[in-house]
Amino acid sequence: MSVLEKVRPAPQQPAATAREPRITDENGRRIRVWELVLRYLLLLGVLALTVGPFLWQLSTSLKGPTEDIFSSPPRFLPSDPTPHNYERVAETIPVWDYALNSLKVALANVVTNCVGAALAGYALARLRYRGRRVATLVFILTMLVPVEGIIIAQFTTMRELGLNNTLIGVLLPGCVSALNVLLMRNAFLNLPYEIEEAAYVDGANVWQRFLRIALPAVKGTLAVVAIFAFMGAWDDFLWPLIVLSDPANFTLTIGLNYLHGTFANDERLVAAGTIIAVAPLIVLFACLQRYFFRGVGEGAVKG
Amino acid sequence: MPTSRRTLAVAAVAALLLPLSACGSGDGGDGSTDASGKVEGDITFQTWNLRANFKDYFEGLIAEFEKKYPGTDVKWVDQPGEGYADKISADAAGGTLPDVVNVSPDLVAPLAEAGLALDLDKAAGQYAKEYLDGAWASHRIPGTEGTYAFPWYLNTGPLFYNKTLFEKAGLDPEQPPKTYDDLFDSALTIAEKTDGEVATLANVPTIEDFGRYGVPLMNEEGTAFTFDDAKGVELLTRYKELYDAGALDTQALTATPESSGKKFLTGAVAMNPGSALDLANFKKQAPSLYENIGITDQITSTGHVNMYVMGLMVNSQSDRKPAAVAFAHFVTDAAHQMSFAKQVAIFPSTAGSLDDPYFTEEDGTDETRVRVAAAKSLKTAVNYTPVLFSEQMKTELRNEVAKALQGKQSPKEALDNAVKSCDRLLKQQG
Amino acid sequence: MASTAVSSGARRIRRQLPTSPWLFAAPGLLIAGAFILYPFVSTLVNAFTDRRTLVPGEFVGLANFRELLHDDMFWIGLRNSSLYVLGVVPALVLLPLLLALLVHKSIPGITFFRSAFYTPVVASIVVVGLIWVWMLDERGLVNSLLETVGVGRIGFLSDQWLILLSAMAVTVWKGLGYYMIIYLAALANVPRELHEAAAVDGAGPVRRFLSVTVPAVRSTMVLVAALASVAAFKVFSEVYLMAGPSGGPAGEDTTLVMLVQRTGTGLTGRVGYASAISVVVFAVTLVLMLLVLRADRKEES
Repeated sequence: MSVLEKVRPAPQQPAATAREPRITDENGRRIRVWELVLRYLLLLGVLALTVGPFLWQLSTSLKGPTEDIFSSPPRFLPSDPTPHNYERVAETIPVWDYALNSLKVALANVVTNCVGAALAGYALARLRYRGRRVATLVFILTMLVPVEGIIIAQFTTMRELGLNNTLIGVLLPGCVSALNVLLMRNAFLNLPYEIEEAAYVDGANVWQRFLRIALPAVKGTLAVVAIFAFMGAWDDFLWPLIVLSDPANFTLTIGLNYLHGTFANDERLVAAGTIIAVAPLIVLFACLQRYFFRGVGEGAVKG
Repeated sequence: MPTSRRTLAVAAVAALLLPLSACGSGDGGDGSTDASGKVEGDITFQTWNLRANFKDYFEGLIAEFEKKYPGTDVKWVDQPGEGYADKISADAAGGTLPDVVNVSPDLVAPLAEAGLALDLDKAAGQYAKEYLDGAWASHRIPGTEGTYAFPWYLNTGPLFYNKTLFEKAGLDPEQPPKTYDDLFDSALTIAEKTDGEVATLANVPTIEDFGRYGVPLMNEEGTAFTFDDAKGVELLTRYKELYDAGALDTQALTATPESSGKKFLTGAVAMNPGSALDLANFKKQAPSLYENIGITDQITSTGHVNMYVMGLMVNSQSDRKPAAVAFAHFVTDAAHQMSFAKQVAIFPSTAGSLDDPYFTEEDGTDETRVRVAAAKSLKTAVNYTPVLFSEQMKTELRNEVAKALQGKQSPKEALDNAVKSCDRLLKQQG
Repeated sequence: MASTAVSSGARRIRRQLPTSPWLFAAPGLLIAGAFILYPFVSTLVNAFTDRRTLVPGEFVGLANFRELLHDDMFWIGLRNSSLYVLGVVPALVLLPLLLALLVHKSIPGITFFRSAFYTPVVASIVVVGLIWVWMLDERGLVNSLLETVGVGRIGFLSDQWLILLSAMAVTVWKGLGYYMIIYLAALANVPRELHEAAAVDGAGPVRRFLSVTVPAVRSTMVLVAALASVAAFKVFSEVYLMAGPSGGPAGEDTTLVMLVQRTGTGLTGRVGYASAISVVVFAVTLVLMLLVLRADRKEES
């Protein structure tokens, strides 16, 4: 893969930075230089593997109309980079309208999943009642169903509810995903019971304990759920395609699919479409990732 | 929870929900074939991946129709290329199929059998003579009466070849193969001269290749497949020779039309079938290859080239059949097909349109040359792929052919097995 | 679903309105029931009919399941889906954990690396498939590299086993970032004091990994193993994209869910037969899940 170019963006200089006092591990101890070098080497190696293919896609999307994109062996860098292909994507499909629809569904999906999964996860992990194991089993079974086999039945259900061809119809089946419920359950299970006990002794009821104590302690997992929910809604293709008929409601993945087909087969456009679809998710992840590191200790008893 | 109680609960839920599987189409519309009456009302028109490039054309078309028939309102929806069969399946099962639907012959057949496509011989038979005979017939189902879609645009195309690769193998780039024998000989030469580096074809033979080679595909009644005859075995045996010699691309067994196109663009294979549309793509994607592209006629032993047909089907459950039929005819009539053909490199299916100077007069460019040649061959072209040949059957054939090429079974055994599985699938369908 | 044993603490916190647990779980249960399990009940029913996409079928008893036993493609599918679990799950349990440890430490630029490592996850699988098919092509990037280093070209996409391996590699590649963040969230819960104590004791990084980290994230490892094995057995997109719609040369790379898709979808789909395969997939994943959980419990006790 294109190891050569992707080394560039890495903020390197381990030797120089190692002397700065802020290069410490999580315990405030200084990290040895050789260890730091090793870490950066490993990081760069994984970086080449994970981002390489996308850089190549990015490069294709920047190639102008006079450049061969199927030359063999492949050429990595565009000889004359141009944003032209992105403009053409916007000319070919109403990319902003579609992105807005996707954004609506994805954001709604984040809210419903965070709320629904946190509530259900808490019920599965921390509350005692008859039928708890059955409830857990329901979520596990849900996860096992092969979706490929039920999509038409899902559509018929949606039509009976009168929700076909609406964004709500797109949202509903995944709006509290079983996987997220189980992730939240696991997070709540790992909380030490002591932290709730104090509140319990103070007379806090179950809702108060959930909102004030348990929920803030699992922020990291909540951020994970948010990412998964956003991503799931943003990337889904087949279900929105089946549910939606009216182009005004189309989501971005359906829209981008118009870029390749019998009459329009231009890899540069497809590549530009790919980048348009991926970029917002990367930004979202970059914004949220610091929450993964706020774990259990925050605002509560240290574990 | 005790097992017995759990089982009981599951059984109870199942009993409650059983009627679910019985639901389906059947609401709305009377299902009759009568399309006479006033042309009015709201109809929905669904196309297949045409909005991105031809928005203006279709919006103009619809405005014109609504002006001609006051009181009509056409809502246009367009679906992307991928997942079209899934989309139609869900709509057909859910009873939400649009009034006028863009279909290909293989999509029409199951819809017609399920009673969802209007029989146009009965409902709009007066229009039949406006179309090329072959095109009108392409939406018929062997063994049954009726025609289930208006023919719309057609496509066919030449065989493209890479002159540089021909030269490299010592072949005359100006003398491309004209017959199957030529083709197989050239392919073996190229493979030999390049030590198997350059293959000539990127695909294993499909049902349409068998048809073009002159193999009878199906019996008259449409009840059984026949492509395992001596001629079929002969074609597959030739392909096996190619495969063994490296004249068939190593990835041919898993190729898709899209991937074989890419193979041609990278110069990994020397020949690829295509259409006039591809010329523009070559120019865009591989400008340096474009200069070395040779264009020759599709090879066929029957004298008829293969064509692809698109059609417009009218939903038999539609409440607005008169308007739906009128609109489908309006879109596919000679004048509108002609203006569509001038927008993009496709061909009208209306009688006489192909005699238009646009399709007969050369102006020296490659585009025109391909267009004129294709238009000429289309007058006698055949859509070889039987309308009853489902996706599942294509896979069966493909996998048996692959086993023969790999030498796991003889060509004869492979085709016998494929015919047997396809016949079984056919019985289950009908 | 990891450690199902309830600690004694839970028993002490019990006072609550009897309805509130159900209120908590209601939204999730409702959605799961209405949009996944209810449609799946129709699959269960269809498995005993000869229903097709546009033709309501008749009850045929166990005929579909009997046909399965004699369907070579079904056994190929079962073999490939099982191989997929064996090939992919160990890698997906271990590699993302190591990756999480690598990016866990705050060193300059780490935010960039963390986000970059997540890129493969956020791209849709179709895009990922297209990119990799292109890279692993006979004349693609990977083979160009192999040729320059003197290994020679490898037909990644023409041999049935190499296709399956390539698809597994893509699954692992795409799953790295996904499971990495699950581990990251879990690592945040590992008390620092434990590491410090171990470091003071003079334990090396490997010892600390085995004696501190692994026990601390064990329930997460089990979760990841369960999720990864279910996902691996139900694999569809990666193999579909690498092997083509007909499942590789002569269909030898077909997985069970690909078979469900191939036989059951489209206008001529055999919904009944495909439903029977779906039921088998469901049953096998259930067993897989139970096995993972049982292994977990055994180890715990």
